[in-house]
Amino acid sequence: MRDLSLHVMDIVQNSLSAKSDRIDIIICARPEIDILEITIKDNGIGMDEDFLKEVKSPFKTTRTTRKVGLGISLFEASAKSASGELNINSQKNVGTVIKACFKISHIDRLPLGDLAQTITTLIMSQPDVEYVLNMDNQKECFVFNSYDIKKTMGEVPITQYEVIKWIGEYIDEGIKIIFGGVLDEIHS
Amino acid sequence: MKVEEFAKHFEMNVLTSEETLNKEITGMYICDLLSLVMSKAKKGDAWITVHTHLNIVAVALLAELPCIIIPEGISVEEATVNKASEEGVAILSTNKDSFKVACEAGKLL
Repeated sequence: MRDLSLHVMDIVQNSLSAKSDRIDIIICARPEIDILEITIKDNGIGMDEDFLKEVKSPFKTTRTTRKVGLGISLFEASAKSASGELNINSQKNVGTVIKACFKISHIDRLPLGDLAQTITTLIMSQPDVEYVLNMDNQKECFVFNSYDIKKTMGEVPITQYEVIKWIGEYIDEGIKIIFGGVLDEIHS
Repeated sequence: MKVEEFAKHFEMNVLTSEETLNKEITGMYICDLLSLVMSKAKKGDAWITVHTHLNIVAVALLAELPCIIIPEGISVEEATVNKASEEGVAILSTNKDSFKVACEAGKLL
């Protein structure tokens, strides 16, 4: 993957396949220890222990059309090439938490990418799911919740062009506030 | 050109089992970003990459690539080699760099 937002997209697709109706994306920068953490937490069907043991292997997949699935394997590879790691916790019928960390200053650490587009694309494809984006730099915090937007909008569908456009701009602004100057690819 | 013939012609080391050498190579693709290889490499391409993780076998299978070429004498984990043999994907190793391999192969493919 060329950037972290594409990994997020890929992992959230797993959450959606697992029938989640709330997905939390938590991106936390800890500049004092040079670490970026990305956590994706869902309330889907979860995995049993046997599946969980093997889930990092590219040859483990729920797909029936082919025998390889690379979402988690590639995310782990990207974390490891930036001196990081990936951990998964899952409980059957409760949900799954995937957490990847990266050394922010590592030369091979992928850039954040177009996270706003990832979120808006997800909302458009599955508007009934509650998406929560939480961005944090240890000093300030930004939270976006698609359910809150829906409540505020009332009759107006969240997938309407103007709403989606506003959400994209709002998240972009949040990225600048939280990660500007913290991740060197984002200007404050 | 068959993988076996290709390996012999360019004096590459064959790491995987003999059964992986029967497929046809019709082109070449060079990239280390696995997601890009998945979307851009063409069926039949020999793929040059410096990665040696098990993931490369999955990518080769997915993109229907008959063989992976590991350049610059980089060593490959046993788990990767075994899985590749099992899945029928050839892994060839060479001391040459990617540019050299591509220049030479370009005259033949």
